[in-house]
Amino acid sequence: MTTFCVSQEGPVNALALNRDNNQVAIGGRNVFKVYQIEDDKFREVCNLRNSKHLNSGFSCNDVAWSLTDDHYLATAATNGHVCVWNLSKTGRPTQEQDYQDHKRTVNKVNFHATEPFKLISGSQDGTMRYFDIRVPAAVTIFQSNTESIRDVQFSPHNAYMFCAVSDNGSVQLWDVRKPEKFQQQFTAHSGPVFACDWHPESPWLATSSRDKTIKVWDLTAKPTLEYTIHTIASIGHVKWRPQYKFHIASCALVIDCSINVWDIRRPYIPFASFTEHKDIASGVVWKGDPNVFLSSGRDSTLYHHSFSDGQRPASKANPQGVSLNNRGEVIYSRKINYVMSNSNSCSQNSLSKAVGLMRKTSTTQAVDNFHQASSCIYAFRPTNSETEESSVFLDLAKNYVLCGRTVSELCERNSAIAKQFGKHDVALTWKIMGTMYGEEFVQHLNASSTALEESTGAPVNAEEQAPDTPAAAQFSGGDEETENEDQVDNAFPNYLNVRDGCLPRGDFFFGENELDVELDGAPMFMDYYQYGRFNPVEYNEIDWTLPIEAFDIRHEILDRSPPPEHFPHHSPDIREDSSQTVLQVEEPQPGMLTVGTPSKKLMWDPSSIVVDTLQYYSALGDVQTTATILIVLGDSRKYLTGLSEALQEHWLLGYIDLLSRYKMWNTSTQVIKLSWLPSVSQLNQQSTTINTNCGKCLKPLQRAGWLCDRCHTSEYGLCSVCNQVVKGTYVWCQGCSHGGHIFHMRNWMSDKTTCATGCGHVCEYN
Amino acid sequence: MSEFEIQEIEVNHRNLIQKVAFDQCGSRMATCSNDRFVKVWDKNSDGDWTLTSSWKAHSASVWKVTWAHPEFGHVLATCSFDRTAAVWEEIVGDMPGPRQRGTRHWVGRTHLVDSRTSVTDVKFGPKAQGLLLATCSAEGIIRIYEAPDVMNLSQWTLQHEVQCKLPLSCLTWNPSLSRLHPAMIAVGSDDTNMNIGGKVFVYEYSENSRKWIKLETISNITEPVHDIEFAPNLGRSLHILAVASNKDVKILTLSPVEDDQVAQSGLTKLDIQTVGQFDDHGGTVWRVCWNVTGTLLTSTGDDGCVRMFKMHGINLWKPVAALKGDGTHVPTAAEAARSSQAAQTARYIKLGSIQPNRELRH
Repeated sequence: MTTFCVSQEGPVNALALNRDNNQVAIGGRNVFKVYQIEDDKFREVCNLRNSKHLNSGFSCNDVAWSLTDDHYLATAATNGHVCVWNLSKTGRPTQEQDYQDHKRTVNKVNFHATEPFKLISGSQDGTMRYFDIRVPAAVTIFQSNTESIRDVQFSPHNAYMFCAVSDNGSVQLWDVRKPEKFQQQFTAHSGPVFACDWHPESPWLATSSRDKTIKVWDLTAKPTLEYTIHTIASIGHVKWRPQYKFHIASCALVIDCSINVWDIRRPYIPFASFTEHKDIASGVVWKGDPNVFLSSGRDSTLYHHSFSDGQRPASKANPQGVSLNNRGEVIYSRKINYVMSNSNSCSQNSLSKAVGLMRKTSTTQAVDNFHQASSCIYAFRPTNSETEESSVFLDLAKNYVLCGRTVSELCERNSAIAKQFGKHDVALTWKIMGTMYGEEFVQHLNASSTALEESTGAPVNAEEQAPDTPAAAQFSGGDEETENEDQVDNAFPNYLNVRDGCLPRGDFFFGENELDVELDGAPMFMDYYQYGRFNPVEYNEIDWTLPIEAFDIRHEILDRSPPPEHFPHHSPDIREDSSQTVLQVEEPQPGMLTVGTPSKKLMWDPSSIVVDTLQYYSALGDVQTTATILIVLGDSRKYLTGLSEALQEHWLLGYIDLLSRYKMWNTSTQVIKLSWLPSVSQLNQQSTTINTNCGKCLKPLQRAGWLCDRCHTSEYGLCSVCNQVVKGTYVWCQGCSHGGHIFHMRNWMSDKTTCATGCGHVCEYN
Repeated sequence: MSEFEIQEIEVNHRNLIQKVAFDQCGSRMATCSNDRFVKVWDKNSDGDWTLTSSWKAHSASVWKVTWAHPEFGHVLATCSFDRTAAVWEEIVGDMPGPRQRGTRHWVGRTHLVDSRTSVTDVKFGPKAQGLLLATCSAEGIIRIYEAPDVMNLSQWTLQHEVQCKLPLSCLTWNPSLSRLHPAMIAVGSDDTNMNIGGKVFVYEYSENSRKWIKLETISNITEPVHDIEFAPNLGRSLHILAVASNKDVKILTLSPVEDDQVAQSGLTKLDIQTVGQFDDHGGTVWRVCWNVTGTLLTSTGDDGCVRMFKMHGINLWKPVAALKGDGTHVPTAAEAARSSQAAQTARYIKLGSIQPNRELRH
């Protein structure tokens, strides 16, 4: 079984199979042919279009093949003619009858399944005519009393019954013996009904309509709606799939060129879809076999479809969904597994066996469980929310202090906060930041920069050093990163005890705690040591005044912290060591101490290590740390070379976005306010104007919200409680528009529900 | 990782649920289903999900539902087998009667009918670029719509149509907030032919040519792709992309490379690396979803589990947990290996046995 097609001269409007399902007749405006259906192709048997009987206005709307006598074909034409053709074996096909009874287009012809020579037609003129093809005029006329009949079909269950569907949405059931009045009529659709099809076995009738539905009616007694299939376009044709009780094929009149086969129990998505046609499919017939059908199309083709070649849209229907929110909750939806539930129902049915077993052995049930599609949803909620990432984020966001103190105080404070909420690595980073950007550091930087401007000799050398320093810092940066990574993985219990003591502020060179903390940086320290020793030598060659700065600092610090001699000589603290190295080098020149200019200092530029740290945290997804450090550094940010504004903006926006997800509006506003980037700080300044109009003359109020320049009245600016003019915030009810001073309104609404003016309105105040 | 409490939600969708989506703040949830309905759920004060709206959104199966940034109001977009995408807005109604005021309902703002085949995914663009909507369809076309007036959600103009050769199943915007990153979209195809090359394509909007240009085809993903999502980028220089395919979950990094050629063409050059590849689901993976910071990825697959993958340091991803809907605990491979490290593995408590509905409704 394969899918193949044959092209025609023009659009095909209808097709019909013969009794043996081996020949197909197709009809259209320019087409009227009979094909033999072979294994992989259509073979033309005859072309009735060449027949001399065809008049020029002929356009075939429908074609039917007698189910009792293989020689007879009937066609319905747009000009109202119903023709019967005799495909006699003897030679040319001949036109047996040409009924001109209908006044308007004939939409449908249908042969009786068992009675030979009996034919019925339905027309746009609202009538159905019952013919005996041996007689040259209609035998019976049925008046539907509707505008037009779209489809008419004999019942396979009752030899005398046929149904007709019409433009007004109604379905009529007729007895051929009683032409006076229909047996039953019911409204099936809210729009024109285009087609109907009797179920071959069940007492069901399927109808399709412009209202984009296919409905299945049970006609055993009073017509009852059994199933409704919702489609995306008006359905022009429907045909039940043989041997599959719940399957029906449909093709649309507009938009949708595909032929869909539905399982009526799952009416939302086609069971199979055939998209070979390039234009609207005009008809579909099953070739007696549930796996083969033929279709005709406006694209001038006749297709032979193999059912297995169809697409299964449901297979693309993703059976699962998952979503994660900012509180760590997971929502998970999945298809209920019916293999499992079948076995469940089996065990259940052991209680009431018979019914269950009967159903399970039923063949249609066993075919597939396509229609058994439903989902369940589970919500997973973290139970110990304190440790959840989001709550830590919230705690930190609430407690971090971003401004109002000196940098080192802020860093110290935030470090303590980070530690309190279990972020030890972040706490450490804050401490380092505080140390590096403490007041002394900034003073030194400022001092050296002013010294640079003042003097001409030595400072030039200081500038020459500049290229060296980033390299050193780069190196350190690497050190810091590895350290941080370690911490993330190991939960760093070792650090906890040692860092409890408060770090002396500005203790840049002799940080006691740092010394202990960075123990595992030891291997790196060796390299740094060498580097550190090398550098000062170079400096010394250039300018002997440089070491003095370091010495100068040492004296300052000695006042507050333990002297360096108290430390083991091979301390792993990189900064400690670098300064010691400097000291060692300079000690042979003590005399220089008194003559050196105190404003010039050897400063290690930490900017690239800081930038690296910030980038490291943002890469880890912790933009909070990055952004808050950046904010707290304040003016010191100007020393961070190599940090582009775009990146700073990215971080700030990232933090603001995250805060707004948690509805931390106050913090996010603070961040926006503290921002030094215009693009961020202006976020809150857009669309903040409220325009007011005078309540009397409706002209815009230009001067104040309570006085109209035009009518010189404050009548509409009065408080409805105290009757004074409101010059500050005026709140009003959106419902009755009365209002006044915010405190008065608040008091009023605290114990009353109606408006203070007595207008009777039940105001809302939040 | 923490423990999880499991709750089954009575959804009453009459067919398969296609997608669930939290809003930005995580307190609302939208579900869409084959049964053409979209439902919106709100969390009540007890933390339970209650249904607040339910409406028939399309005339066929609704594939996806997605929230717009709250700055634009309570706005949803849906796409469907009926070949349309739709935008919905929740409004506070003016119902008569004092207690009726303030009731909310969803109104359809627009139906985008340009596609001639099933619209398989719909996503709002990053808010910095205005109100943008991208759709992709089974015919392989990406469409970018814009609402020029963000106050008027009923007017959308089709800005771009990008033809992709394969039928598309999923789409994701790069959510980066940085102005250094041009608008970027990645799409995936569920075409089952494994021999036609990569199934994930990355497009970028070029300011110079005012067009969307294909940057990359990710050639090592040849399996049908069912879902794709960029991780939130709150400050990273590189982009992280998760891909759910017939075989596994992949985590890719897309790092912009800077060189002369890039400066000339104005187009980003990407260095794409696979940093994570997990076949823990043992079959088809249907969905991937990131947490808000892009440090935790969840995926679902044919094994009926939600699996979680966490970032342990830069570009280092490890499976950390698996959750099963019926409350049973599924040990991950890594978990089994290091069961001694109790502190780091996930544990779950079972709150009664939750069984799927047995009753089949026809």
